[in-house]
Amino acid sequence: MAPLRLVPRPGPQEVALVHLVSAVTAPLGGDDLELRVIVEAGASLELRGVAATLALPGRHPGGSRAVVDVQLADGASLAYLPEPTVVTARACHESVLRARMGEGARLRAREIVVLGRTNEKSGSLTTTLDVRRDGPVMRQTSRLGTPEVDTSPAGLAGRRVFGTELLCWDDDLPGAVSEDWWSLVPLARGGSLSTALADDAVTVERALDEARARHPGSSGSLTRSRTRFRGDGHTQSHGSGGGHHRAGGFAFGAEPVRSLDR
Amino acid sequence: MNLAALMIADSRFPGGGHVHSGGLEEAVARRLVHDEASLRSFLVGRLRTAGALGAVFASAACRGRYEELDAELDARTPSPAQRRASRVQGRGIARAARKAWPSPALAELLRVTPRPHHPVIVGVLVGEPFEAAQTVAYHAVTGPATGAIRLLGLDPFGVNAVLARLAPEIDAVAAMAADHADTPPEDLPAPSAPGLDLLAEAHDRHHSEEVRLFVS
Repeated sequence: MAPLRLVPRPGPQEVALVHLVSAVTAPLGGDDLELRVIVEAGASLELRGVAATLALPGRHPGGSRAVVDVQLADGASLAYLPEPTVVTARACHESVLRARMGEGARLRAREIVVLGRTNEKSGSLTTTLDVRRDGPVMRQTSRLGTPEVDTSPAGLAGRRVFGTELLCWDDDLPGAVSEDWWSLVPLARGGSLSTALADDAVTVERALDEARARHPGSSGSLTRSRTRFRGDGHTQSHGSGGGHHRAGGFAFGAEPVRSLDR
Repeated sequence: MNLAALMIADSRFPGGGHVHSGGLEEAVARRLVHDEASLRSFLVGRLRTAGALGAVFASAACRGRYEELDAELDARTPSPAQRRASRVQGRGIARAARKAWPSPALAELLRVTPRPHHPVIVGVLVGEPFEAAQTVAYHAVTGPATGAIRLLGLDPFGVNAVLARLAPEIDAVAAMAADHADTPPEDLPAPSAPGLDLLAEAHDRHHSEEVRLFVS
């Protein structure tokens, strides 16, 4: 069984809404998960999580890894909105969101990381955001679960929950907007990033919502054309941890259907 | 260590670095840093995040590719206040360097990026990856450390000892960075510093509303 199922709302629609449903406990130590998403020219896709992801240690050594690889054609839009990732004790997880954007493409990508369940020491998480559009837009790697950096005012300042949201979505503000524990900043070559730190996920979500409400491009419409979605996925091995799992999806507008490129 | 590295790291070097606290002033204003122990925590976090990022770019700048490095460092510095602080300090060093160390490499850097990022111009001037990285990693902690003496009235000998004890950590960051001298710019590490990003923007906001000792 694939650990991650893509559940699209049926039929063509203005924005294809697809839920990411975790069918088994994942990621476990040893898991290697890959999700490939292609959004064709002019199509609009929204990928939403349904439940928090728990990064857990497994019996297999070497930690777990999840890669989301996104290709946005010219004028394509993607909102990638997974639920928070909770890094449990002794977990060792690496996650990567890699996006390549065509001209006029739009991307909104939110990530919320919770260090440990309540009263639990956190495992380690390395998470990378890597977005390019005719050159680099945003690249950062956060290593969480290292006590010296987590507690440092330069790192997480002792906060348990860390959130970011990338908004490459039409217009940006000319300058930064910030409160003490969140900010919305314009990036050097287009796009904006909001960052929030807090002791609970609800506060971080609210801060990211507030930041997004200040972002001029995000108040615009999401839709450009009617979109269909076709998902595909397979699992190369079973069991708890140690499997290599791939899933993919392809969102397209009125253009002819192309098979999912692997 | 080469003389350029020593001179750039010297607080008497006329590069304008002394007006930057690297987020420390805001951390002090919020009582996040108030004594030697909390200063050490700030410095260790800064070294492993912003310090490591700068060190990697200083090391890579020893091999040219200035335009790409400029764009890649911008993409790894989401906070506009921090991008500005880096370029202002880079420009300050350029002013001194044009007289002190004119070279084809420096001319080329200033031709493609008239306002270079601080770590990139330090890399060009020092010219050797480990030493360039070490200079920038040290710079990432020494400015805030001396800032703490002025802002909190901490014992200068105690703060000096805190800095001295960071030597193994600074060298570890420099060694990691030196290993990336030949890494293609787009694949260079990109350690984030969420706390510093928030402190930098808050400092910038307060700096325009009230008197602050430091520019950043």
